[in-house]
Amino acid sequence: MIYLDNAATTLHKPSQTVRAIAEALNTFGNSSRGTHSVSLSAAFSVYEARVKIAEFFNCPKPEYAAFTLNATHALNIAINGLLKEGDHVISTDWEHNSVLRPLYRLEAERQVSLSFLKADSKGRTDFLSIPEYITPKTRAVICTHASNVTGNMADLEMIGEIARRHGLLFIVDASQSAGFADIDMQKMNIDVLCYTGHKGLMGPQGTGGICLREPLDIRPFYCGGTGVQSHNQRQPEQLPTLLEAGTLNSHGLAGLSASLDFIKEIGLENIRAKEKQLAELFLKQVKDCESVTIYGDFESAQRAPLISLNIGDLPSGTAADILALQYDIAVRPGIHCAPRIHEALGTAERGAVRFSFSYLNTEAEVMQAAQAVKEIAEA
Amino acid sequence: MSEDINYYILFDNYTHGLALYKLLQLDSIPARISPTPHILQEKVSCGMSLLIMPEDIEAVRACIAEHGAAYHDIAALPCQIKTDRFRFC
Ligand SMILES: Cc1ncc(COP(=O)(O)O)c(C=O)c1O
Repeated sequence: MIYLDNAATTLHKPSQTVRAIAEALNTFGNSSRGTHSVSLSAAFSVYEARVKIAEFFNCPKPEYAAFTLNATHALNIAINGLLKEGDHVISTDWEHNSVLRPLYRLEAERQVSLSFLKADSKGRTDFLSIPEYITPKTRAVICTHASNVTGNMADLEMIGEIARRHGLLFIVDASQSAGFADIDMQKMNIDVLCYTGHKGLMGPQGTGGICLREPLDIRPFYCGGTGVQSHNQRQPEQLPTLLEAGTLNSHGLAGLSASLDFIKEIGLENIRAKEKQLAELFLKQVKDCESVTIYGDFESAQRAPLISLNIGDLPSGTAADILALQYDIAVRPGIHCAPRIHEALGTAERGAVRFSFSYLNTEAEVMQAAQAVKEIAEA
Repeated sequence: MSEDINYYILFDNYTHGLALYKLLQLDSIPARISPTPHILQEKVSCGMSLLIMPEDIEAVRACIAEHGAAYHDIAALPCQIKTDRFRFC
């Protein structure tokens, strides 16, 4: 199979990641629960993963990097934990439902008001207009780093500077950019960074996290066992314990830790260069195909390595089905959990077919996928 | 008698505790990762502490100062384990 659905999850993981998880499965006790040797094996492994993640995103301290099960989990902690009754939030049409649904729920339940920066038919958004939306109640700017539909990317440093200047929290969803783009929480003024481990970071599913720039007044989304202060009726206040009730996925985190080593060994810039090259190769092959419509802004300097398109008047699901059945190529059709951007692109009804590339794909795979698109378009 | 007193370095989290443990190892200062005694748990949210020998306390403080290592407190407690019957350090 040719797997080009890496924006959903990377299928191929580094072999050292697979080995680390297998090794952990029979050697880890429960991290942060007691101090016998196998509990400490897990605790040391989680500690190392935490140190690596903090370094990777330039999070000021490892303990400000709490682990979660995925980005959705992290975003729910951030959005529910930080926004209070009556707050106003500025977000964008690019967002995934993991941002939108928690926001809509707070709109209904806590009278949180929402403004969305509009995207145009190429999915472009004017982030410089953020100040026009600010009201005395505005508390936060929440945005994704890279759209999972168009691949368009936001200039986090510029947005972070606007947020800082206006005293707003800056919350970033790095699901599509972690493992591809440089992310520096301190340089970019990111207060809260949410990421998932199973996409560009090439770790296992069930890993992700929330990184804070400083200990914020954040109400934990859930509480429970921490292994300490068991008589205390409240969740311990110190990070990361505050945000990590329940047993951690230390087996998965051992894998994520190994994936971070892999990224370091290869070099993020080399990973980015290869993924960009694969996406550009694909684009070059299909862009002149008469009945292929491609979505996104291809003039901006940085893009995530994915391309969404439609072929003729085929519904996106049908096109993906043909690709799967006829060509054994895995892609993702539909709305991609991002309804607002599809509204902007004019694809709310039929969706789009998304091809997304990983460092572990090859040029030959990309050429075969492009050939398949051309054949379907000409049929 | 110094043998009867245990020194526990307490932490707000495992991250600080394991970081200092590694630093002490590098400086060849003996330390054992031990459960935080229950009576000390009220103020900290970390279930591990570092148990150190009384004669190493100054070296530990020097190591902490040198590296700016984070910790919550150093607590002295009467020995929790009967050393004549059980292995301790
Ligand atoms: C932009 C964006 N945000 C959030 C998510 C949610 O990631 P997860 O399902 O790992 O929580 C995704 C994944 O599809 C995404 O593309």
